[in-house]
Amino acid sequence: MLIPLSILSEFIFTEPFFIINITESSSISFMLILGVSIMSAIVIPMNVYRIKTLQKSSSKIGGSVIGSIIGASAGICSCGPIGFSLISTFGTVAGTATAFLTNYEIPLRVGSIAILCLVYYTTTRSISSECKIS
Amino acid sequence: MNKKFAILIAFVALVVVVGISASSYYSTLVEMQQYKPSMAKQTSDTNLKNGSPVLGSKDAPITIIEFGDYQCEGCYHWFHNTRADIIDNYIETGKAKLVFVDLPFLGRDSITAAQATYCAEDQGRYWDYHNILYNFQEEIDNGWASKDRLVAFAYNLDMNLDEFNYCMDSSKYNKRVKANYDEAIKQGVEATPTFIIITSDGTPAKIQGAQPYAAFLKVMDPLTSAIPIEQP
Repeated sequence: MLIPLSILSEFIFTEPFFIINITESSSISFMLILGVSIMSAIVIPMNVYRIKTLQKSSSKIGGSVIGSIIGASAGICSCGPIGFSLISTFGTVAGTATAFLTNYEIPLRVGSIAILCLVYYTTTRSISSECKIS
Repeated sequence: MNKKFAILIAFVALVVVVGISASSYYSTLVEMQQYKPSMAKQTSDTNLKNGSPVLGSKDAPITIIEFGDYQCEGCYHWFHNTRADIIDNYIETGKAKLVFVDLPFLGRDSITAAQATYCAEDQGRYWDYHNILYNFQEEIDNGWASKDRLVAFAYNLDMNLDEFNYCMDSSKYNKRVKANYDEAIKQGVEATPTFIIITSDGTPAKIQGAQPYAAFLKVMDPLTSAIPIEQP
């Protein structure tokens, strides 16, 4: 998830050459992407394990997916190809949505990390209690 | 049942929020409709007659065309992190010249900001105004580039405000900005900032995004080394 997010947020460029570019002004944004990627990489497999191995309900995976989606979509440059395509297709409504995601990038990413941390806490508790030998 | 009800409520709330957002920008939608892109196709000839005045020597063999939006965050980063090196090493040495072509698609204030730069050009202050817009850029359509702020920028540059206001109120450069937008779409530009670097023989090279100076160095050094050095 880190690599695609970094490409979409223009920290990694693949054309015309492969270049990684993290400036001082965008370092916070990159750290948040790192946080979202790490938490998603921990939480989503944990929930998949819960569903497949323990055969529990899939309700808790919703939180991890929502957190990951919010963290992934926040801050994706609305001036990039995805934002341009959305605005070209859907007009002002897409412009409003992408502007919101850009303008509130940091709060949204912090919020998604908080959601993922909460899901991590509830999932570990759930797995711990479900694995207890009674 | 409670879960389904909660999902239904969330869905209705989402529809309401989207509806309110859409209705609040209705007047902008009408204005922006004229800026919706048509069919895009690649072409090697870029029409720069509606673009900015040239930055650098008009005789410079390499032309750097920057397609940008004054509300674009990527353009802001490129302006502050990379542009100075390009100017120092290529433009001021006469190896390249820079032309800015508007691609205002991010919001309603993108269009008026672009128009304001050409109103500034009428008073010979295009690049000063261009710079001040990127120095004071804030969030998209939060009012930082409203009509009043654009006039304030002109005031800060000691420009003739009567002329500037007349130019803005008459939408004198609306068609010029639209022409630049159409040219950008015609060139296949799909993000800002996008750079098309054209050598003297017309060969184009494209750089998309706020890439660092190293990317421009790799593209442009082979082009500039091919330029014959005139002996005195």
